[in-house]
Amino acid sequence: MTDPVRPAAPPYVSRAILSLAARCTDHDALVGDLDEEFHSHQVPARGPFRARLWYRRQVFTSLIPLTRLWFAPKSARPRSRENPMRSFLQDVRFSLRGMRRNPGLAVVIVVSLALGIGANTTLYSVVDGLILNPFPFPDDETLVTVGTEYPKLGSGLTFIEHMSPAEFIDIRDQTASLESVVAWDMGNRQVSWGDLTDNLSTGFWWGNAFETLRVTPFMGRGMTMEETIAGDAVAVISHRVWQSRFGENEEIIGQTIGINGNPFTIIGVMPPGGELLGLDLWYPMGVSPDVFPRQRRMLQVLARVADGSDRAAVNAELEVLARRTELAYSEMEEYQGWRLQADTWTDANVRLIRPAGYILLGAVTFVLLLVCSNVASLLLARSTVRKREMSVRTALGAERGRLVRQLLTESVSLAVVSGAIGVALAFVATNAVADILAGVPFLSGTVEVNGRVLAFAVTASVAAGVLFGILPAVQDSSGDVQDTLKSEGLSTTGSAGRLRLQRVLVSVEVALALVLLVGGGLLINSFSRLTSVDTGFEPEGVLSMRLTLPWEEYDGPAIGAFFQTLEEQVAAIPGVEAVGRGAQFPPISFLFNRVATEGLQVTEEGQLPTAMTTLASPGYFDALGIPLRQGRGFSDTDVEGSPLVTVINEAAADFLFPEGDAIGSRMRVGADADDEWFEVVGIVGNTVNNGLDQPTFAEVFANHRQVPGWFNQMMLLVRTSVEPYSVLPAVREVVRSIDPDQPLYRIQTVDEAIAATVAPRRIAANVLTIFAAFALILAAVGIFAVVSFSVGARTREIGLRVALGADAGQVRAMVIRQALVPVAVGAVVGLGGALALSRLMEGLLFGVSGTDPVTLIAVTGVFALVALAASYIPARRASTLDPVEALRIE
Amino acid sequence: MTKRKFLGEFEQVVLLAVIRMAGDGYGMAIRREIEERTGRGVSIGAIYATLERLEAKGYVGSRSGSPSPERGGRARRHFAISAEGRTALQRSRDMLGSMWDGVDLEQPDSEGQEVA
Repeated sequence: MTDPVRPAAPPYVSRAILSLAARCTDHDALVGDLDEEFHSHQVPARGPFRARLWYRRQVFTSLIPLTRLWFAPKSARPRSRENPMRSFLQDVRFSLRGMRRNPGLAVVIVVSLALGIGANTTLYSVVDGLILNPFPFPDDETLVTVGTEYPKLGSGLTFIEHMSPAEFIDIRDQTASLESVVAWDMGNRQVSWGDLTDNLSTGFWWGNAFETLRVTPFMGRGMTMEETIAGDAVAVISHRVWQSRFGENEEIIGQTIGINGNPFTIIGVMPPGGELLGLDLWYPMGVSPDVFPRQRRMLQVLARVADGSDRAAVNAELEVLARRTELAYSEMEEYQGWRLQADTWTDANVRLIRPAGYILLGAVTFVLLLVCSNVASLLLARSTVRKREMSVRTALGAERGRLVRQLLTESVSLAVVSGAIGVALAFVATNAVADILAGVPFLSGTVEVNGRVLAFAVTASVAAGVLFGILPAVQDSSGDVQDTLKSEGLSTTGSAGRLRLQRVLVSVEVALALVLLVGGGLLINSFSRLTSVDTGFEPEGVLSMRLTLPWEEYDGPAIGAFFQTLEEQVAAIPGVEAVGRGAQFPPISFLFNRVATEGLQVTEEGQLPTAMTTLASPGYFDALGIPLRQGRGFSDTDVEGSPLVTVINEAAADFLFPEGDAIGSRMRVGADADDEWFEVVGIVGNTVNNGLDQPTFAEVFANHRQVPGWFNQMMLLVRTSVEPYSVLPAVREVVRSIDPDQPLYRIQTVDEAIAATVAPRRIAANVLTIFAAFALILAAVGIFAVVSFSVGARTREIGLRVALGADAGQVRAMVIRQALVPVAVGAVVGLGGALALSRLMEGLLFGVSGTDPVTLIAVTGVFALVALAASYIPARRASTLDPVEALRIE
Repeated sequence: MTKRKFLGEFEQVVLLAVIRMAGDGYGMAIRREIEERTGRGVSIGAIYATLERLEAKGYVGSRSGSPSPERGGRARRHFAISAEGRTALQRSRDMLGSMWDGVDLEQPDSEGQEVA
């Protein structure tokens, strides 16, 4: 058992515990005794393993007698030797006693720090949960997705449903630096289990996603590549669906469920929280990738960077692949300049919210800095008392370093106490924030206080303690001992240095607060501009509901008939003003196509024309309140077999028919020679079809009545004269009467859909505004404290001035003037900082620039008023001083 | 001195061990001496805590010894009994002796029965 090469060491954790417990005895001798016995007797006699056991048992049984010594009467305690741990504990005890002496100050400090640390911790938990670690998949730096960009179509880099099956196969087979390449298409399926029918968000896969994600199924197994191609009737469900719909049935593996009416066997359950983008059902694509045309782009690709390779190598390979593709398919013009880029799955998914998250984290850090500076200012105000205490101790022989260390221990203890309260607050706040964020679409991740967040809170607390403690500590322990001991009260030269420091702190606070105020002002300004954008239609009072008719049961004509009957019957419901259906509606559109006119093959910029392509029924425009500008809308005479007609928006008319001859012209939806020609019969007004913050995109409408087989998933849009949700039961009843198996889902008003698209901005604007208000209050308190302090320190001087004939107005003016100097300095620095930082915010702004003069002036004005008010109160007190009283003060 | 005149049992044991080690006793040696003589396991922490109390009361004195590598360079602390310690020990022994005087545990007590 004995290892002669490496001598056994005493168990170090036990020894550390012993060191802590033995602080009231000769700790060195005790540990030395144990180590000596361990090495000289226990190890040779009993072997290292049992020797360590013996050591631990000794430590364990020693804890009670040793800790009882802590509470022994003072006389029983020997003189302590200098031991860092011991002096630290002494400092902590000392500072706790100090706090008890001055509870008011301690409470103010602890409350403001707890709020600051709590806010920081809460925000960090949001950033950690949504931006840094949103996915539970291991090794997230090697989990990548591939995005594309088609410069020829004028499209930006996208990672969403953009890859064709042929391109997926190219990537899988020609990129050696990637492994476990899988792809999926997103959709939804009707799932039936016993009497239950539900519509589940579904992924159609090629390949085994478990392998790529490196997660183990909660139960069962994943699908194989062969199964996904062959289309075996197997399916994987999410853990949450297993819980909510299947009652946590332990026997679920091997059971049969209906998917769109066909039997499928459940072979696996995803691990908890492992839904990929909210997918609740995975099942095989069911065909070979090579049956699809190369331009049928609907997939997302997920892969692992191969061992020994890295993302740079992957991207180099992808670039080679893109050029090879461009050459091989020269007839497909969109491949010109085609770009492929691998990004980590996390980065690709958080790129939209990351700026907002980091800006808010930066803002809340500013708030904590402000709190620190305020607390430092408070501690400086207390300096007079402390300074005498420190001078006495210095006179008695204390070293300066020891004093600074003691004062820092004091501030860090305060910060740690505050941090503990702050973390408790953060637990509550994080839950509330998580609830709010649960309503925001397109967010992945869990917002909670976890180990990383706690580590952050501890770091922030200690850093805050050092930060606000260091200035007062250095200030208090410095200076001439004799001077301080000789002098009395506030009217000393020592207070001049302190006052200077406090003024610097005021400048810092003002600068920080102004940066926050400018940021908050800009966000509010842009948010109000965004929500007052002219949408181009009338979203109020419109309810939207999605229906997806399974191809297994409905062919083209049946789809048309179903929706036609539905619209007619819903129109008869009392309170319904107009009914229509469309494949998409503003402000979010996801269906785009290449289009062509007889004249326009390529734009002036050399791009291939694309447009949003929206299938709509004749009632669509009335239901949404989109105005007709020219020609006619769709009519009931446009039916299957009649000449194909199209309605386009004004943007499309300008883009595709710059000569102004749109009505009566012909165009193709799609770019192939065998795509059919449509005649333009009408032009409708522009809407915010690409999001509130983007210019209107050219949009081309096709009449779903003419081409019902193009798409099986439609939004039913119902304009009501009553509360929109009040017609929902009647609509459901109509759907049930036509086909009881078809659920309505994704139910929301169009107003809600618009609000959801601006939710991240709204949250960012609100949160930053709260921070800014908090900052404003803190800065005002800081100014008030410093002016009060300076008035107090100069009581005699002011009394003298009054005695010599200065009137109240002059005194007030003097005090305010002097108070505003550090404010002005801080304001200049703050505005400079705000301008410098505004570039970071530009992605979040809409309709205002980061240097918007109106915002800057308004914010500065508000701030000036607050600063005036904060200094006016002490100034007034100074002006009403009784000179006789003032001069008597010693 | 008024409050705690007599030594506790364990204090007596430790003081006796200190005397037996003749001024060379340090924590671990005292512990081993007690264990070997009494057959009773004692934790090193209890020894140090007791020595700490005895030293505070002036019953033992201590000096630092030499450090050694197997101690990680930490010095031993040697304890020796003081005159007050001897007096206190003697007093405790006398007190116990006067209580023991005339007691015979073998002989059953005349009224021992009714304690139940």
